[in-house]
Amino acid sequence: MDKRGYLAIGFLIILFTAGSGCISDEHTVVKVVPAGSLLLPLAEIEQEYEAIHPDIDIQIEGHGSIQAIRQVTDLHRPIDLIVVADESLIPDMMYREGPNGVNYTDWYTPFARNEMVLAFTNASAYADEITTENWHSILSREDVKVGFSNPTLDAAGYRALLVMMLAEEQLDVPGLFGSVIGESFNPDLIINKTDGDMTLELPVLLRPEGGSKVLIRDASMFLMSLLESGGIDYAFDYKSVAIGQGLRYVELQPEVNLGDEAYASVYDDAVVYLGFQRFATIGNKRTGLPVVYAATIPYDAPEREEAEKFLTFMLDAFAEGGTGYPAPL
Amino acid sequence: MRNLLLILVIFACICAAGCISDPYAEIDWPLTLVGADGNEKVMTVSEIASLPSVNGNGYAVSTVGIKYGPYNITGVPLIELLNQVGGVHEGQTVHVSAADGYLWVFSYEQLLGEDLLCLDANLKEMKNPATMTPILMYAADGAPYPYDDGGPLRVATMTAEPDVITEGSLWVKWVDRIEIHG
Repeated sequence: MDKRGYLAIGFLIILFTAGSGCISDEHTVVKVVPAGSLLLPLAEIEQEYEAIHPDIDIQIEGHGSIQAIRQVTDLHRPIDLIVVADESLIPDMMYREGPNGVNYTDWYTPFARNEMVLAFTNASAYADEITTENWHSILSREDVKVGFSNPTLDAAGYRALLVMMLAEEQLDVPGLFGSVIGESFNPDLIINKTDGDMTLELPVLLRPEGGSKVLIRDASMFLMSLLESGGIDYAFDYKSVAIGQGLRYVELQPEVNLGDEAYASVYDDAVVYLGFQRFATIGNKRTGLPVVYAATIPYDAPEREEAEKFLTFMLDAFAEGGTGYPAPL
Repeated sequence: MRNLLLILVIFACICAAGCISDPYAEIDWPLTLVGADGNEKVMTVSEIASLPSVNGNGYAVSTVGIKYGPYNITGVPLIELLNQVGGVHEGQTVHVSAADGYLWVFSYEQLLGEDLLCLDANLKEMKNPATMTPILMYAADGAPYPYDDGGPLRVATMTAEPDVITEGSLWVKWVDRIEIHG
C-alpha cells in the first residue's frame, strides 16, 4: 500500500471514530428546578461545580416552589433535582404514587432557612427612621407605599400577609393589618379571629384600589424593580433576596418573621386562604410555618447518580454560605 | 377561456384532494366554554380558528425572569370568544382552566386590556402602557401553536407594538375550559 492508501485509511478511521461518538464533546445534563429565591446562589454553585466537573452540564430552570414540584408530578418532565422554599410542599405533593405506581419521592433534605424582612432604599420615605422596633408604625403612615408579591403566584406574597397578621397579634397593635394592607382593598381585607387563631380569606381578584398605599406585583423580581424605581417605599421579601439585590432592609421580630423554628407554634396561628385554587393538586390554604428550604431527587430522575453528587456539593455550598444565600440550618 | 377553465378545474381538484387543507382540522382538543347562565358550548380548534382573528406581537416573562418570545401570534380576543356563550360583562370574572389542572382568573377589565402590566426589554415597568389584548392563541409565527409550548390553545397577551414584554403568569397553557362567573 502506498502513502496515499495509508492516509485514506487513517482518514476513514478518524471519520468512523468521530461518527460513532468516541470523540465527543457531549455533556451529561443534570436538570435542576429550584425556587426563584435560590437562583442567585445556585448560579454561583453551578459555575463552581461545572469548573470541577467539565463533563457535567447543570441546567437550572427556576419556578415558584409549587410550580417546581408540578414539573414532576403534573407535567411528568424528567427532572433530576427539585429545590423548594417550603419544605412542607415535598411531602404534601410528592409522597404519592406517580403513573408507574411508585411515589414521586419518599424523602427530602432540609438545608437552609430564611426570614421575611422589609427591603427599602435610601430614597424610601422615612428610610433613616425605620427600625426593628418601629417598622409597623412607619408602614401605617398614610404617605408610605408598601409592596408585596401576588400571594397566588409567590410564597413570599402570602408570607407577607402572614407576617402582618402575626404582627397585629404578637406586637399587640390593634388595627395594624387594616391600616397597612386591609384598608387598601374594597371591600377591606379583614382578619377573622377565633380562640387565638387568625384566618384571612382573600377575594378571587386581589386588586388594591387605585391610589392606595399597597401595590402588588407578580413576583419578587418585579417588586424589587418597583422599589428601586421609587414606585414603593418598602417591600416584603426574603432576607437573602434583599441582600442579594444589594438593598437595605430592616429585620422583623422573630415572633413574626417566619424565620425562627422556636416560634413555629406561634406562626401556625395564622392562615391565609387564597382566592381560588390555582392548582388541582394542592389546595388554597397556606399556614404560617418557618421558611425552610429543602431538596429532593424524584424517583425517576434520569441522572440520579449525578444529581446525588451535585446535591452533596450544593448542600456543602449552602452550609458554607455566601452573599444572597439563605442561612444554613 | 379554455385555459382559464382548465386552471379552475385543476385548482378545484387540488382543493378536493386536500392539498390546501385546514391545518387545525386534525387537532383533537375540544374547548368548553361556559356562559354565566351555565350553558356550555364545545368548540374545536378548527372552529376557533375560523372565527375573526387578530394578529400581533407576543412576548412574555416568567415570575423568575425567563423571557418567552418574541413571537408573531394569532388568536381570538377572549372577550370576543366569550360572545359564543352570551358574552362577559362588568363585575364578572373569567376562569380559564387547563388540562394540567391549572386555573387562572381574569377580571372583565383585564379582558379589555386594562389592569395589565407591561415591561420594557430591561424588564422595567413601562410608564406609558402599550395596547394589550388578551387572546386565545392558536398560532405563533404562522404555524399551529405546538403542544410542547402549551398549545394547541394558550392564553396570550398580544400587543400592537413590538418588544413589549407582558406578565407570563397570564399565559395559561393547554387551555381546555373557560367559564364566566358572576
